[in-house]
Amino acid sequence: MKKLINQVVFFASKINKTHLQFALMIVTLTLVVLGAGAPEELGKTGR
Amino acid sequence: MPLLFAVVSGSLTGLGISRLKGNTWSPPNFRLTWLVFLGFLPQWLAVYLPLTRNLLTDKQASICLATSQILLLVFTLANLRVPGMPLLLIGLGCNLTVILANGGFMPLTVEAAARFADTSILNSLTIGERIGSASKDVLLPEAQIILPMLADRFVPPPFFPYRFAFSLGDVFIAAGAFWVLSKGSSAKPILV
Repeated sequence: MKKLINQVVFFASKINKTHLQFALMIVTLTLVVLGAGAPEELGKTGR
Repeated sequence: MPLLFAVVSGSLTGLGISRLKGNTWSPPNFRLTWLVFLGFLPQWLAVYLPLTRNLLTDKQASICLATSQILLLVFTLANLRVPGMPLLLIGLGCNLTVILANGGFMPLTVEAAARFADTSILNSLTIGERIGSASKDVLLPEAQIILPMLADRFVPPPFFPYRFAFSLGDVFIAAGAFWVLSKGSSAKPILV
């Protein structure tokens, strides 16, 4: 268990902060675009 | 889906320009990012999440949609300094205006639907009613739409493999998203 925690901490420390910022920015913009836009595909009506 | 193409192509263009210039790519830093997650939540529950969207009435869903878009409008206003964001604001403003003017959903013209949908799907729809619980659109004849120029009335050319209807606001939103991402390359470098 301790080894697993150490591995998680090790890999977490390898994550680049700027890459996380980039991913957050992409997710943010994707949500804005999905929320703001309203194109209709007529394929997924939910019925 | 069509709008996500703008996000993907904008990202690739931004990366490509950065590589060509020998720079690193810097995406913009947004203000009030939490507002996007808060703003998208009502819409996610009302349109995207099958478990909850089927529980809501059309009236409740339309309130969720309007609330969501108003919060996203505040986010775009707060980030107006970001290149491309004014285009996104115009697009969101156009969509929100026509949605509010037509009872809470984006009007899809019958004429546009006839140009891109199968006859079997068209026959299953009722004029004046929402397309479905997973849709933001209501099917209406153009003559009954308030501000019809802002409705979902455009369809891609016949050679385009993916069929959908879109509004003028959607065009601005796609252009804005593309610009936001592609212009990121000219800012100070943070992403290698």
